[in-house]
Amino acid sequence: MTTAEASPLPRGSVRDPLHMSERKRARRENWRLLVHRPSFIIGLVIVAIWSICAIFGQSFAPHDPYDFRTDFYLSPRGSFPFGTDSTGRDVFSRVLVGSRDVLIVAPIAAVIGVILGVILGMLMGYTGGWLDTVLGRIVESLLALPAILIGLLAVTTLGRGSGVVIGIVAVLFAPIVARTVRAAVMAERDLDYVTSARLRGESSWFIMFREILPNVWGPIIVELTIRIGYAIFVVATLTFLGAGPAPPSPDWGAMVADSYQNDISGGFWWTTVFPALAIASLVIAVNLIADAVQSVLEG
Amino acid sequence: MSSIWKPSTYSIWSDDTATAAALAVDDLCVAYNVRGVDRAVLRGVSFSIAPGEAYGLVGESGCGKSTTAYAAVRYLPRNGKITSGTVHVAGRDVTAMSGAELREFRASEASMVYQDPGQAMNPSIRVGRQLVECFTLLGQSDSEAKVSAVEALRRVRIADPPSVMDRYPFQLSGGMQQRVVIAMALACNPKLLVLDEPTTGLDATVEAEVLDLVRALRSESDAAVLFIAHNLGVIRTMCDRVGVMYAGKIVEEGPSQQVFDDPQHPYTVGLLRSLPRHGVRKTERALATIPGILPLIGSELPTCVFVDRCPIASETCRTIEPPIVPVGPSGDRYTRCHHPDLIGEVFAVVDAPGITMLAPGGGDVLELSHVSKTFRQRGRTVPALVDVDLELAIGETLGIVGESGSGKTTLAKTMLGIETLDQGGRLSLDGGSLQGSTSQRSTEAKRSMQMVFQNPDSALNRSWTVRRILTRCVTKLTGVSGAAADERVEALATSLRLTPRHLDLKPRQLSGGLKQRVAIARAFAGDPRIVVCDEPTSALDVSVQAAILNLLAELQSEKQTSYVFITHDMGVVRYLADRIAVMYLGRIQEIGPTDDVFNGPHHPYTEALLSSVPSIDGEARTRISLDGEIPSPSNPPSGCVFHPRCPRVIPGICDVTEPPLIEAEPGHLMRCHIPAAELRVLQGIPVTVRPTVRS
Repeated sequence: MTTAEASPLPRGSVRDPLHMSERKRARRENWRLLVHRPSFIIGLVIVAIWSICAIFGQSFAPHDPYDFRTDFYLSPRGSFPFGTDSTGRDVFSRVLVGSRDVLIVAPIAAVIGVILGVILGMLMGYTGGWLDTVLGRIVESLLALPAILIGLLAVTTLGRGSGVVIGIVAVLFAPIVARTVRAAVMAERDLDYVTSARLRGESSWFIMFREILPNVWGPIIVELTIRIGYAIFVVATLTFLGAGPAPPSPDWGAMVADSYQNDISGGFWWTTVFPALAIASLVIAVNLIADAVQSVLEG
Repeated sequence: MSSIWKPSTYSIWSDDTATAAALAVDDLCVAYNVRGVDRAVLRGVSFSIAPGEAYGLVGESGCGKSTTAYAAVRYLPRNGKITSGTVHVAGRDVTAMSGAELREFRASEASMVYQDPGQAMNPSIRVGRQLVECFTLLGQSDSEAKVSAVEALRRVRIADPPSVMDRYPFQLSGGMQQRVVIAMALACNPKLLVLDEPTTGLDATVEAEVLDLVRALRSESDAAVLFIAHNLGVIRTMCDRVGVMYAGKIVEEGPSQQVFDDPQHPYTVGLLRSLPRHGVRKTERALATIPGILPLIGSELPTCVFVDRCPIASETCRTIEPPIVPVGPSGDRYTRCHHPDLIGEVFAVVDAPGITMLAPGGGDVLELSHVSKTFRQRGRTVPALVDVDLELAIGETLGIVGESGSGKTTLAKTMLGIETLDQGGRLSLDGGSLQGSTSQRSTEAKRSMQMVFQNPDSALNRSWTVRRILTRCVTKLTGVSGAAADERVEALATSLRLTPRHLDLKPRQLSGGLKQRVAIARAFAGDPRIVVCDEPTSALDVSVQAAILNLLAELQSEKQTSYVFITHDMGVVRYLADRIAVMYLGRIQEIGPTDDVFNGPHHPYTEALLSSVPSIDGEARTRISLDGEIPSPSNPPSGCVFHPRCPRVIPGICDVTEPPLIEAEPGHLMRCHIPAAELRVLQGIPVTVRPTVRS
């Protein structure tokens, strides 16, 4: 309802909201709404803790995460809160620094997936017609394949490494993001500002990425936060399947993979449960953030 | 504040009328809670409606009309609450009812009809079941209710109730849907019927049918009607008395005829003078505008709510709340003004001289010959435009009228190249051939033709600033950039009365009228030869509409721009257009100079269209009702496409051959088998009315 003529504050007044740029004002308002949500704060704190561990964990870990020792399979106790594993390495120290890969790889993978998805969805939504039909079928067929199957296939053919993981996640996510973006773009496509742009002879590229894109940022940001959550999960899964970095380096997914078969049956539950819990905590935290962002931007 | 409404001088308000009135609203205050703050919307509204009486509320958007209507049946949105005052319906205090009482009250004593009939019904339940439910709620058995439902549909003049009851809401046209909703509303024989913009989304001929129905039903029942509409003509033809609302208060009240013919409050005067009435043309008088804007809801109001926009405001108006003054000899008119004696001065202030227009001429800027446009939908062909021939002179305004589905917008889009015309047609600009599709046109052709859209919210990119919108258009169309482009944008903004401050805002920070100015500025960015305006003022309030229409006329007189002006508002088109084309099912049925089209002889469709406009001037005219619905363009009737609905149809001729578009009078073309001379006799048009032929 705030219209230009009706601004109750005198011009130039410091608090005059009209003199703050629109985007800044919208951001400030969204941020205010976000920090009033406990779930957002909890999620943020957990992610922050894991991020600090990923960067500085090595320096405050009680033991060297790579250090083999003779006292293997110690159950959790004072000096080894999470116990030790089959080669006597401290599980707690390994969990602390084990978030490093996933915290770098997952967001990069999600961002690449979202960028691909935005381009794909924009083309489908704006162009429509046969291009939409063809791309739509390809997207659907990708979505029909089980993610694990694609992951396994890629790992066996392409080998291991962070690059492979990022590639797999991006390819898995792009179609999902594309569908969301396509729907948002189709709602914009029929608005008159697009017609007006065509009337003055703008290129399709300009209309898609300069005119329409700023108006569909909301759903894209929401999609991105949700995708990061899923990406952590998928990256951990792929590492578990052996696509991640080579063994000695500590990684939650790899730790679970190394331990779950022999250790659990031997009663040494701690080597599997603690890294698994760490994965769960991070996924839940990111999802809490995503939920909050979604309800603020779309609620 | 309430004490002012109480004195016995205010005759309709006394304790015994409170019990007798069908609806008595006393000093009603309503507030909406917006982000935790209560914002006052109604600030002491008082009026009463006698049984069987129709009372209209008019005013611009945001004045509290609809809130009053919702409050009358205590159906406010969740964030709204009645902060003080009372509402009595048939003697019962609505504000004091418990949940159960309220439910019972709404089921049996009050009904409401909303703007969009499509949303008032459940889309997934058959019409019959929804209607039967209304009666079972009143305690009837299923079989009784079914009989009542059929009867109710008969009552709203639905010819074949059983087949309608078997259909889903989406299978009915808008007019039929609204009839069904009215049937539901009347199911309980209510004491109070609230109609909130019941015909706003409907076409003129359908609107007229629904209004006729409501009028007929009123004589059959003694329900009091509270009628909300922004269309003053509708209120005048439908209501006995009218209350004019401004900023949550009723500022003037009286019999509708008297209020509209002899307004006594400065706001009413402004409102009425901003409408193109009595066939006034742009060259005779500029439309009055009301300077300033409506105060925001919840804002602190001066003692007289209208003082900031009033041409006759004095110091008293700022310090003392204006009393309710009875005016006129009849004793049933009131105005809330300190200076009812000065009202004559308002006319002097608001009336501006007409705009001197250069005569259109000096050749045609745009020509369309044999232009058709056929859409293909699921294997069917839908001819949306059929063989249209048009020419547009330099500096001319061509009005295009017709109901929805008549092809007006398709015609505009085809001219602009948004839709590509079918093979065989030809467009030419300044004598040179013009490509069918925008993307194939030269920059010069693109800058020559621009468009102003109906809805400025959709037409402006909401994430761009006004400056960016205009600069981009200037750069793209004229090729200038940098400081030269900035200069041009500033000049453009100034000519549209936008201040530099507006340039750095985003569309949603602007009011509707300002947004439309930005859209017009954008259309004029490249000094166009032709601007196509697609209902540019239909989303705006009348005083804002007046400002936009004045502006368009001024721009035309300065730049000799030609306009193609699409509208369904006959008053607007008469004010602005030099020539008018009447379209029906994608064909031009009649085209000619504005005076000729309005004075007749008319094509029978134009005749019906003109007769269905509810007149605010109260001219007596016979309504010509059209039978049936507008046929689907995919399956047009044989012969003359209008013959199934034409009241003057000649069987054996009209349903066999399509009449050609022939010259009935010089410059006045018509597609009808009946000769113009005969139409003139049939329509009772004296020969002398016809103005001398202009060549």
